[in-house]
Formats: sequence, structure tokens, C-alpha cells
Amino acid sequence: MLDHYLQALATVLLPQNLLAMVLGSLWGLLAGALPGISTSMGVVLLLSFTYSLSPMTAFVLLVGAYLGGITGGSITSILFGIPGEPSSVPTVIEGHAIAKQGRPAFALWVYLLCSIYGGLFSVIVMIVATPLIASFALKFGPPEYFALTVLGLSVVSGLSGGSMLKGFISCFFGLFLATIGTDGITGEERYTFDTVTLLGGINFVVAMVGLLAVSEIFIEAEEPFKEYKGGVQYKGMLREFPPFSLFRSYLLTMIRSPIIGTIVGALPGAGATIAAFLSYGEAARTAKREPEKFGKGAVEGLMAAECANNASTGGSMTILLSLGLPGSNTTAMMIAAFMIHGMQPGPLLLSTRPDIVYGIFVSMLLTNLLLLGLTILAIRMFLELNRMPYSIFSAAIMILCVIGAYGLNNNMDDVLLMFAFSLIGYAMRKFDIPVAPCILALVLGDMAELSLRRSLLLSGGSPLILVSSPISIVLLAGALLSIVYPLIKKPKMLQGL
Amino acid sequence: MKKGEIVFFAACVAFFGFMLFETFDLLRQGRPGEVGSGLWPFMALAVSMLLSALMLIASIQKSIKAAGQGAQEVTAEANAEKKRARVTVTLSIVCFLAYILVMPWIGFILASLLYIFVFALVLGERRRWVLAISPVLMTAVIMGVFAKFITIPFPKGIGVFAEFSRLFY
Repeated sequence: MLDHYLQALATVLLPQNLLAMVLGSLWGLLAGALPGISTSMGVVLLLSFTYSLSPMTAFVLLVGAYLGGITGGSITSILFGIPGEPSSVPTVIEGHAIAKQGRPAFALWVYLLCSIYGGLFSVIVMIVATPLIASFALKFGPPEYFALTVLGLSVVSGLSGGSMLKGFISCFFGLFLATIGTDGITGEERYTFDTVTLLGGINFVVAMVGLLAVSEIFIEAEEPFKEYKGGVQYKGMLREFPPFSLFRSYLLTMIRSPIIGTIVGALPGAGATIAAFLSYGEAARTAKREPEKFGKGAVEGLMAAECANNASTGGSMTILLSLGLPGSNTTAMMIAAFMIHGMQPGPLLLSTRPDIVYGIFVSMLLTNLLLLGLTILAIRMFLELNRMPYSIFSAAIMILCVIGAYGLNNNMDDVLLMFAFSLIGYAMRKFDIPVAPCILALVLGDMAELSLRRSLLLSGGSPLILVSSPISIVLLAGALLSIVYPLIKKPKMLQGL
Repeated sequence: MKKGEIVFFAACVAFFGFMLFETFDLLRQGRPGEVGSGLWPFMALAVSMLLSALMLIASIQKSIKAAGQGAQEVTAEANAEKKRARVTVTLSIVCFLAYILVMPWIGFILASLLYIFVFALVLGERRRWVLAISPVLMTAVIMGVFAKFITIPFPKGIGVFAEFSRLFY
């Protein structure tokens, strides 16, 4: 096996592959950071270039774009409050709040170090435990998926701030929003009011941009005029480097988050967004140091989200390479890349093309290390934008938000929908209703509903199927605990008054 | 804020109630013995409506309590500041909506140029060089990155505006 790794290392270190790694990573960072393009779109745009490349160079390029995209999504999230990627939403909530408190460089360091750590962790896990993760992911049927989403939703208590009632209103509103569109099982239209726009459901990027980014500009418009965006001041990267003791003090989060990220990444269809939210929610739920800071700039929340979303890459690639299943949108695009080069990802790949599999392992490892340097370059570039006059800066953010919504399907209906969500987000913020639970529910709602209904179809309507396996029992018990425990601890949270 | 809160939660109750009413149609559909497409949204909406109603009652109670304690004095300055903030936010929202609505007619470039200029004015920007240079620069950068490099097919507008847009993308 060592031979395979050494051979793969020698191949990846060839000049053309190194160049592909740098270009792919830079493109990924840009695609991830810009709101109009997602990581998967970044990978798709590169696909056409890979026809003429050798398979190894093609995969090094695509892996660079994939990892760069997941990493880059958080740069604009922290600096400007615009999530470059859906998986960066928890980063907007905590990272941007830290930046607004005058410590953007600190937030950027925490994000960068945690991202790289999460990415490296998952690659190492991927190399060591590929067969184990693949078989564990296969044990997840509809009841387990339902239990997993319920666990994910149960973190509302941690995201609700002072009032759990308001948090639950936000959460159930998000669950309702997730039902809009064509029903995935019966094909019936729900709440579309005969409009074509709503047939496909509400894209959560549209909702997220409106609820988080645009509504924040409206809130900031209430402030008196300022020449520059005073909240985000750059004091120099090196001066804000976080001490090692900071990470040691959140040891549990640093261990748990990449594990969650890797496992959730390995679940087909889950991906970085759900990984980031679950890990963030777990951190919020179990926070011992300054739990009240969640939603207002909690370092622990930022760490948890960043470790997990990058760690999901290893998990997603694991099931892609071992089972041929896409763990995320982006790895679904990777299947196309395999087909372009005459390969089929799956159990046979390791025996038929070990050079490619081990090459991907090695390139993921090296790309994560390379991203440490490249991301600092990208950060410096984006920080320059802070020197813009605030009024123009705000207008630019609004235009980027419009592009983010428009770029999804190239139509103005999504932009109008985003505008509607910005008004909802503004009203929610004005009346202290947390936005995060709504987005969490919108992300998880579809999977929760479909897995519940599929479970009940399998059991002929018996709800006992939901507690028929140890995995779902443990997950549901965890969910119950995370809802009940804060209520026992702080009964006033339920009152919401 | 209490009055606003009452209106907000009353609107929530009305919205969730209306949607819940729409759900009854969905509940009636589907095959017997199967969980249809109406159950999940019914649960979400019923809980949302219930919680909103609870918040509405709590807000009304708070409002009555506050009225009993007598109104707090608000300074003229605070009132003026509040009014200014409201006007700015309203204009920002109107500006943004106008930008979105006008874009398909006059095209992305002109709409963005106008939007950056007007939005900066609304936010209180009065420096002439900023108002003159920034919209052009910003639009040029955005066009370069998104229309030329990433080739997002932005709206071109109609008639003479479309001709103008075609000069650039």
C-alpha cells in the first residue's frame, strides 16, 4: 500500500499537476467566495477543461476547486456577511459578528486554521477508515435519516438566543417554507398558487441571501451615515493570530466537529451544509463557556462550523470513491468527471485504477496544505474591499446579493423572491426572532419530511419503525435531550418574554 | 415597539392561519392509510400559528402592563433620530425594489449605475467624487467579473437599452 502512496505522491508532484492544484484551488477560492457561483458550479465550469487533460491532472484540478470552494465560501461570510456557500451560513452568524466587533483578522484566522484542520482530519480519516465509513453510511435508511434531521432541528434551543418560543416560530416557519413546491413523493403542488417560480420549491440560497445579507444592510441603513464600514477594521493578520491555548480550550469541539463533518459528509445527499449546521448546533447545545454568545459572535460556533464543513469533503469523497455515491452536489459533478475519463467510481475503482484513488487521496492532503497559503492571499485581496466608502460598499453587497439569486437560474423571479425574504428577515430581526433556526429548518425540512414519509411507507404506517434501530434511538434520544435539557435548566426560555 | 410587536404577531397568526386553511385541501388528497402531502405542512403551520398566538397574547399583556405604568417620556432628538432611521430604511427598500423591477427594462448596467448612485445618496453619502466615480468603477468591475468572465446572462433591457447593453455583453 505504501508503494501506491509513494507512486501517487510522485505523480501529484509533477509540475503540470502542481500547477493544476494551484489553479484549481485559486478558482475554487474565488468561486466559493463570490455569491453568484457555488462550489459545484465552480467544479462544473472546470469540467470542460478536463477533456484534454490526463486523468490525474484533471482530478487534481477538480479536487483543488472542490476544497478551495468549500474553504473560500467563508471569506465573504466573515468580512461582509454574505455567505459565499450555503455551508457558510453558521460562519456568517458567528464569524461576521466577531468581525463587526472589530476583530475580522482574528475571525479569519480561526476560520482558516479550523478549515484546514477539518480538511486534513477528514482526509486522514478517509485514508485510514474508508471501508468503515462506507459501510456505516450504508446502514442509514429513512428512519435513521429522519432521526438525524430531528437531531439537527433540535439544536433550535441553542440558536434561539433568549427566547425559545421565538426560535421555534422561526424553525417551524422554515419547516413550512421547505414544503413549498412539488411534493417529492406524490408530485402534488403545495402552496405554489399556480406560479411556476414556486414549483421547484424555495431555493435556500435565495432565502438565505435575503434573510441574512440583504436584511442586514437594511438594519445597518438605520445607523447614521458613516464614511467607511467601521465595524470591520483590519488591524493586520499577524497581530490577530489566535493563540494555541484558544483551540485547546475548545478541545471537545475541535475533536467532535471534524468527526461530525466526516460522518455527515459520508451520508449520501447530506453534504457540507448539513454537516456545518449539525456541528454548529451541537456546539451551541453543549457550550459550557459563554453559551449566551451563540448568535452574537461565538468563537466556538465558528470553529465547529468551519471544522465540519471542510471535514465533509473527505467524507463525501470517501463514499464517492468506495461506493460511487455522491455525498454532495459537488461530488455528484465529480461522477461526470470520472465518466469523461472512462471510469466508474465505486467498489471496483480501487482495484482497477488504484493510481487515481491514491492520487486523489494525496492531492486532497496536499491541497489542504496549499490552501493555507492561498487563502491568506485571497483574504488580503478581499480585505482591500473594506477600504471602499461604506455607502458604495453596501450598494455593491446588494448587487452581489442580486447576482447570487439571479445566477441560480438566470431569472428575475428568484431575485424578487430574495427581496421578499429580505423583508421577512428585516421584520424578524426587528422583533428579535432569530433567523438561523428558520434557515436550519429550510435546509433540513425536506429531508426530514421525505424520510419520515418513506419510513411510514416502509412500515405500512407504523411509527415504531422510527425507533427500530439503535442508530435512530440514539439520535432521537439526543434530540429529545437537547430540547428538554435547556428548558429544565432555564425554564424562562420557553416563555420568550 | 409593543404596538409593532402586536401587529407583527397578529400578521403571523393571520398568515399561518391562511396557509393552514389551504392545507385542508392537501389533507383530503392522497390514498387512505398513507401519509399524504398535507400532514407535514399541517403540523408545521399548526405549531407556528399556536406559538404566534401565544406571542401575540404575551405582547398584548405586556402592552397593557406598560400602559398601566404610564408612558415614558421620549426626547424630541430621539424622535427625530427614529424618524430619520425609518425614512432611510424605507427609501433603501424602495430603492432596492425599484432596482429589481427596472432591471429587465433598462438592463443590468444602467440599473446598477443608477442604483449605486441613488442608494449611496439615500445612505447619506454627499462626497461628489464618491458619487461620481464609484458607480462607474463598481459597475465596470462587476460587469468584468460576472458578465465577461463568468458569463452570467444579465438582463439587457428592451429597445434602445438593449442596444446599449449589447455594446458591453
